Amino acid sequence: MTVVLGFEGSANKIGVGIIRDGEVLSNPRRTYITPPGQGFLPSDTARHHRAVILTVLKEALEQAGLKPADIDCVAYTKGPGMGAPLVTVALVARTVAQLWGKPLLGVNHCIGHIEMGRLITNANNPTVLYVSGGNTQVIAYSERRYRIFGETIDIAVGNCLDRFARVIKISNDPSPGYNIEQMAKKGSQYVELPYTVKGMDVSFSGILSYIEETLFSMLVEITERAMAHCGSQEVLIVGGVGCNLRLQEMMGVMCKERGAKLFATDERFCIDNGAMIAQAGWEMFRSGQVTELEDSWITQRYRTDEVEVTWRD
Amino acid sequence: MAALESETNNGTGKLEFSLDVPFPSSREAIIALQSLSPDREPRKGGISKQLTVSGSTLSVRWSADEARILRVSVNSFLDHLSLVLETMEMFGPPVSQ
Repeated sequence: MTVVLGFEGSANKIGVGIIRDGEVLSNPRRTYITPPGQGFLPSDTARHHRAVILTVLKEALEQAGLKPADIDCVAYTKGPGMGAPLVTVALVARTVAQLWGKPLLGVNHCIGHIEMGRLITNANNPTVLYVSGGNTQVIAYSERRYRIFGETIDIAVGNCLDRFARVIKISNDPSPGYNIEQMAKKGSQYVELPYTVKGMDVSFSGILSYIEETLFSMLVEITERAMAHCGSQEVLIVGGVGCNLRLQEMMGVMCKERGAKLFATDERFCIDNGAMIAQAGWEMFRSGQVTELEDSWITQRYRTDEVEVTWRD
Repeated sequence: MAALESETNNGTGKLEFSLDVPFPSSREAIIALQSLSPDREPRKGGISKQLTVSGSTLSVRWSADEARILRVSVNSFLDHLSLVLETMEMFGPPVSQ
């Protein structure tokens, strides 16, 4: 039996989760929400996380009914993400790991999303579309690496949606993307706008007046291309934008046409959370990985394919 | 909990700042050291700092080109230090080794 505690705080969500052998024992989370028309800045976000992180950690332990002695390993997000919030979270993770005498594990945020998606959906070996405010990648596993088949050549699709929401001053509560989705449901007029797919990659900057249809069609196309390339019959969508039901619907249509299966998780797990870091940490820990304290520095850039996936064949 | 000395100019043209933080034990000073030292200074040039432990005191020494850069780094460090101290207070004392 292995119990892992995971800390996540690379963007505006701060979460602490506990996983025991594939079971999510607790996963509390808080979101730093800014007024309409404003994005979130690193120093303010770090301040938000700093104010609540110890409370959320206590909640995680209480909700799981566990004591620090019951934890086998402390996982935290090493990167990628915003520097100041990443440091805030890493400080607490390093400190409790030492206080409790537990090994530490620095986790790649993107891999956290992937491993959580795999755990919840039981997808076998899917082509992964990872879409969020900070990341847009099409990923497939091959020989001990999560290979990036395609990605945005500029900004993440969620960033594009968030900036669009800011321009027209849509509320950021609970998230700008969620509110765009609700408004888009009531829309009936489709406006033809430039469609920028370049092979496996996409471009989103300069097109801030996009609506969902075009953005999501682009993502479906590059996912399909990766599937064809890998001969894959499964798609897994992870990341905050993955909550979007219209994206899931459009991806579902493509999958049905190909006789493939679509997997997605609900907002508990596609939005950044602590348990996903715990899950990736659980996999890494069980396959013998550990992060020494002097190597536990955080990093704003950390590519998904930099990590050796020692827990898969 | 902290004893501070203000900046001096020792002839190298650099601003120096030193901070000494006493802890209840050497073990706790080392825990703080190991939590606070891994991350690099966000600003590449113009500032450097060194953390050491002697007995049960954590010592930090800064060397900076400009007062403004020094202030930002020291400010940031004190924020981080206070988070580490709060964590130790809530979840300590350290387990016996």
